[in-house]
Amino acid sequence: MSEYLLQMTGIDKRFGGVHALDNVNFAVRPGKVMCLAGENGCGKSTLVKIISGVYTRDAGEITFEGQPIHHITPAEATRLGIQVIYQDLSIFPNLTVMENLAINSEITAGRKIVNRKRWEQTAREALSKIGYDIDLYAKMGDLSVADKQLVAICRALLFNAKLIIMDEPTTALTKKEVDALFKTVRQLRDSGIAIMFISHKTEEIFEISDDVCIMRNGKNVYSGETKDLTKRDFTFYMTGRELVDDYFVPTNISEKPVLQVEHLTWKGKYEDVSFDLRKGEILGITGLLGSGRTELALSLFGLGKVDGGTIALNGKPVKITSPIQAQKLRIGYVPEDRLTEGLCLRQPIADNIMLSSLKQLTRALGTIRHDELFDKSNEWVSKFSIATDDAHKHASTLSGGNQQKIVLSKWLNNDLDVLILNGPTVGVDIGAKQDIHALVHELANQGLAVIIISDDLAEVVVNCNRVIVMKDGRLVGEMTGDRITEDNILDIIR
Amino acid sequence: MNTAKLKRMTRRTEFYMLIVLILLIALVQVRSGGKLIALPGVFTRLNVTVLRTMVVDGMFAMCSLVVMISGGFDLSFPAIAALSYSLTTTLCLNNGWCQSSPIAGLLLAMAIGWVLGMLNGWIISNFKLNTMIVTLGTQTFFTGISMGLLKLKEITSTLPEGFKAFGKLYIFESADPASGIRFTLSAMVLFLIALCAIVSFILNKTMFGRALYAIGGNEVSAERAGYNVKRTKFLLYSAVGALAGFIGMIRVCMESQSIPKAMVGKEMTIIPAVILGGASIYGGEGTVFGTVVAVGIISLVSNSMLILGIDTYWQQFFNGLVILVGVTVSALQAKRQKH
Amino acid sequence: MKPKTLEKHSYTFMLLGLMAVVLLFFTVLKGAMLWKGDVWLGIAMQFPEYGVVTLGLMFCFICGKMDMSFMALGDFATIMAVQYMAAHADSPAGGVILVGILIALGIAVVGGLINGLLVSELDIPPVMATIAMQLVWTGLSVALTSGNTVKGLPALYTEIGHKYLLGFLPVPLLIFLLIFALCWFLLNHTVYGEKLYMVGTNIKAAQFSAINTKRMVVGTYVLCDVICCIGCLLMVNTMASAKADYGTSYVMRCILILVLAGVLPDGGMGKIGNVLIAIVTIQIIATGVNMFPNLNTYYASLIWGGLLLVVLVLNTRMGQGGLFGLKLPRAKKA
Repeated sequence: MSEYLLQMTGIDKRFGGVHALDNVNFAVRPGKVMCLAGENGCGKSTLVKIISGVYTRDAGEITFEGQPIHHITPAEATRLGIQVIYQDLSIFPNLTVMENLAINSEITAGRKIVNRKRWEQTAREALSKIGYDIDLYAKMGDLSVADKQLVAICRALLFNAKLIIMDEPTTALTKKEVDALFKTVRQLRDSGIAIMFISHKTEEIFEISDDVCIMRNGKNVYSGETKDLTKRDFTFYMTGRELVDDYFVPTNISEKPVLQVEHLTWKGKYEDVSFDLRKGEILGITGLLGSGRTELALSLFGLGKVDGGTIALNGKPVKITSPIQAQKLRIGYVPEDRLTEGLCLRQPIADNIMLSSLKQLTRALGTIRHDELFDKSNEWVSKFSIATDDAHKHASTLSGGNQQKIVLSKWLNNDLDVLILNGPTVGVDIGAKQDIHALVHELANQGLAVIIISDDLAEVVVNCNRVIVMKDGRLVGEMTGDRITEDNILDIIR
Repeated sequence: MNTAKLKRMTRRTEFYMLIVLILLIALVQVRSGGKLIALPGVFTRLNVTVLRTMVVDGMFAMCSLVVMISGGFDLSFPAIAALSYSLTTTLCLNNGWCQSSPIAGLLLAMAIGWVLGMLNGWIISNFKLNTMIVTLGTQTFFTGISMGLLKLKEITSTLPEGFKAFGKLYIFESADPASGIRFTLSAMVLFLIALCAIVSFILNKTMFGRALYAIGGNEVSAERAGYNVKRTKFLLYSAVGALAGFIGMIRVCMESQSIPKAMVGKEMTIIPAVILGGASIYGGEGTVFGTVVAVGIISLVSNSMLILGIDTYWQQFFNGLVILVGVTVSALQAKRQKH
Repeated sequence: MKPKTLEKHSYTFMLLGLMAVVLLFFTVLKGAMLWKGDVWLGIAMQFPEYGVVTLGLMFCFICGKMDMSFMALGDFATIMAVQYMAAHADSPAGGVILVGILIALGIAVVGGLINGLLVSELDIPPVMATIAMQLVWTGLSVALTSGNTVKGLPALYTEIGHKYLLGFLPVPLLIFLLIFALCWFLLNHTVYGEKLYMVGTNIKAAQFSAINTKRMVVGTYVLCDVICCIGCLLMVNTMASAKADYGTSYVMRCILILVLAGVLPDGGMGKIGNVLIAIVTIQIIATGVNMFPNLNTYYASLIWGGLLLVVLVLNTRMGQGGLFGLKLPRAKKA
């Protein structure tokens, strides 16, 4: 038996003209956490699909527990003890927890008839593997993301898994939930199961992994033990360029606040929140998922309720009841979920950029100036170096970072006083992240008031000159300048 | 019963539908002066009529229910039923079949329906198209076959005796105490009961049934979990086709006539009833019990118009109103749950 | 032609090809009979009524919504109009007709408002809300007419409807062309059209982009139902009467035409030019089938249904290879 549980050498895969995987080598040790890191589109998911048998490799060798494996099908992968927990968790929201836990093994066992007793037994057995307790008859869709994830892990364990692959498991989790997940991961690792953890978040990788494999453009550029790697090297391998944290230095803060929020309340979501915001500032609002940070932003953009308190813009009290009115009051909002709230994917890039400023294109009789639509949007395409050769192409043809630039230009095409960015770099690779941050700094120093809502503490620390912290719907702390550090924020949040 | 269980129950649409049905029964019972449920005999002229209406509608609702649970939308089952029974009766008439026993006819209709259902199943499982659009196409196509290509005619008095006799079977007979008019409870009700039991068993107790819920809940996950989604869908639509053929034939027997046009637009009254019973047009939700209750409500409303003092011409309007209120309430409930 | 243009309009070319195949088919079978002037005049007289209705429904589909109630509503509106016109037969016909038409359009506005509000304010799935409204409107029509045909239209109404402008252009066709031009203008050259495609593609993103999506949805339902009602008024002209179920058979035909034209109810897709080609193709099939004395009209639905299925299947097959630019929807859940 070799030292490695899974070993892959010289893996090659092409899709048409695209060389998705180019001579990739890597190995997983039993009882260790191995991180597969890389930016979006580097070939991580293709590699996972080859291991799980969804795709077939063009070339290369795979050995599992010392045995060479020629052809893997999904069923074969399961038999070997390889389990993948996909990002969407592959759950059935309409079924109960019990059914979600038991259904896979029932299908694999080739059963035709449902036996509730056996299902319940299977489900309890699954939960006991990590000592997790939950109402078996609760509907899966009603659970929190963290609970759904634990159910998915329990389900994977039923198959005597030797290798569990987790595809970006922390994306929708709060810090607290991530900690809980990591505890479970360590528990599994200590019981001898190998974990392959796919991520692009630096902090997490250094916290959890024993080994790391970094991929870029379909090649693996580094593999080895995590402790031999510095964060600086890690970033270099990920992006292929040296990046330095570029802290925001405000140069142009106005005396009078542009936005004043006092005792703002949305019952059941957040309560008694007060803060003000000046031009030229970047204000960070941070807190765990469910702390009320997103709801606060929605209230400022006219999509959330206001049960009490006041909002004043430039000293005048205002009531914001719809995004249309928010726009009139020169407030812009870049939403949390780019794909469902930010973009019309099946429509051209140009139309997406101009979507919130169609008034500028309106002539008599409500007719539209198509020429100007394209001229204007092309300006933004070149200004933000959005990677496309033709603004007529659909927004879906772009990567996450470029899509986010579309959403940003959509709002910057309006004259704004206040720009609210909710999770501006979620799912954006490091390169584009830096571009977006630099841009926001520039905008603030030109006199825009910016709010960044994020639970990515590094992002908040680097980009904000002032940070307020929310917890359970209340404002629990505020800090400025040098006092903004990850540790200080974490002290308050926890 | 513990509170969690009670809470889960009160969140279900079926629960409210059942309350509505009970209230409605009470209302009709009072307004009609006890004509809906008579003691000790239970059956009255009114309630056997309601049950008779429920037979065909209730069985069709089962077709629609299973498709909707899997996340699909079938507009074609009435057209399949029409083509199957019209072709069957024509063949039987021309060849002199089924003069004594209807069984050959029922099997033939099922076979025809099965073949037609396979076309639905083949297209839907292979091409992953919007089921509503595909079944709109097959509906038009099947109607074209029965009335254009084959020019199937209405068969009324010449309907083979086997079908007529079969449709007249009853399991209960009595006379109205007031008028002395004889009334019977059609034996076809047994088919409804049997079908409900079978569908309920399949949905809850077989892996095939759970596959329908799983596919309706999340098709990709179902595939990953090891279900053969393609085969399941193919089986589902072909089975629904066979079932539609059978139901159509039962209808022919009950009405003692075979009219190719009789099924036109039937889907527009069945589908709303199924949704009223708690099925979701997004898939993954729905129960046999809820569907039967909803069909019961609609049958009761349409059969007690006169008793409630409403002109029969208003029947359709009130049916629409019941469904409008039903879908509104369930939409509002879903909205409330989300927040 | 540049390959890009070819790709951009590939769906249009496919539809034109389809139309050519249909024409060739009937020409081979019926020879010169198809190419007589009065055959084409017949075509021009027949498609405007459901053609107009289809154009109305198109707005709903592009908006990503469904309307099943448009015909029931149109029937109800025209019944009210005809009843009014019949009751005022002794007044000057011109004024009565005008008021009658306004009554019908007014009812259509109300129906559109109800649909729009049910869908946008109460969040009822559009298919459900409009099926329920369909039952309600048909129910009202049946209740108010006892299921009978409503007659007594002023003679002037049908007279106008059967006039030819400049001696060759039938008035219904003229009305169709006017409405077509209006719809084309609305979709391609106004801010409303721009917003409509965006709202249809992703209503939430549109809302987050400061577009009044509720107003768009309600307005689109009103527009859809008003245009559909105009189609029903043309139908009254053909039938010289109104009835609760005149329009029923058109519901599926209109949806079929739109799907054939690539305007799918998923929203944000399709071009009005393709809808015109599809309408005319469907009518040519109906007229062609009519030329065979031994075939009844249901033969046309056989061909329509078959055609729809073939186009759907071909499109998915080819769409994956990129032959036809317009891809058809995958299953709802990704």
